[in-house]
Amino acid sequence: MVKLDRINISNEGLTKFFSPIEAQIMTVLWENGECTTPDITERTGIPLSSVAGTLDRLVKAGYAKRTIDKNGQRVRYLYSASESMDRTANSITRKVLDSLVDTFGKVAIDNFHSYEKK
Amino acid sequence: MFSIQDEVGCYIACVADSGLLPWLMASLFMALLLFAFYLKARSSRSRISSFIAAQLCMLASIAMVVSSMQCSRMLTIEIYTAYVFLSTMLILFLPRIYYRILIKRYRARPVAELMEWPQVFVNSLKEQYKTPGMSEVYYYNSAVPRAFASGKTIFLSMGLLEIMDKAELKAILAHEVWHLRHNTRTPILRHLSMITFTRNFSESELENMADIFAADVVSRRAVESARSKMS
Repeated sequence: MVKLDRINISNEGLTKFFSPIEAQIMTVLWENGECTTPDITERTGIPLSSVAGTLDRLVKAGYAKRTIDKNGQRVRYLYSASESMDRTANSITRKVLDSLVDTFGKVAIDNFHSYEKK
Repeated sequence: MFSIQDEVGCYIACVADSGLLPWLMASLFMALLLFAFYLKARSSRSRISSFIAAQLCMLASIAMVVSSMQCSRMLTIEIYTAYVFLSTMLILFLPRIYYRILIKRYRARPVAELMEWPQVFVNSLKEQYKTPGMSEVYYYNSAVPRAFASGKTIFLSMGLLEIMDKAELKAILAHEVWHLRHNTRTPILRHLSMITFTRNFSESELENMADIFAADVVSRRAVESARSKMS
């Protein structure tokens, strides 16, 4: 969950920063906007028993938010991403860059400049 | 100076001299028989009653040993007495405050804020079965479907309210009301097994009995479908 010590650069795509289930849920939320719990289980194909705990964690960490929707006798959660994919990408990039500059200082910054010229 | 060998010697000598030895053996044998019956018994009711009877036999055996002691200032007996006293205090007072801690920890809110009927249903069940005191139903924010009862409060997670239909929710509430009606039973069972140093296997028995009650009040089908959704 985007903690610097949990970043795994050898993984593919978003699973560098999120667990596979977290990545799938966040993708569904970014692509579809507001979703109910059954929407999420259906679109990810992951059973509720695995999705439920992960949703709690994503909400607690601030990546997703939920509201309670009262509909007659039934109640349900409506989930959405707290920030757009771009803004989340921005904050992840900033975290990683901060840590690199913290550790390597000028070398890291020189590398970013040469990276930009490529 | 404390020596465990001296203490054990003391126990053997005092119990042998007191004339209680045959009674002690009989009580231990009885406890053994009741434990065997408990492991073989099928119905939850007979399992729980045999478990309690076995525990009481164990308690009687401990009481006989303690009463037959003539030696003064036995450290093991003093430690044991303190242990029984503290655990009794804990068991008696913890349930009275623990549910309040849970309400704060889970930031639980009265379920009536979302819907009226669960609280009305619980009130009517309690009235029907003449259970004294108020029971409140609370919900808390979590997608993980879960229900539990503590003190005089039933806790339901939002995830549970989301996935269960009305009949299933009623079955779950009836199950929890059973726990509240018998909320003295679980701590006492746990306490007895703490004092007699035997393992408490009764948790699943109590769950079964709560399910039987819920099936009587609502329907077996609702209990089974709620169980399958939660597993």
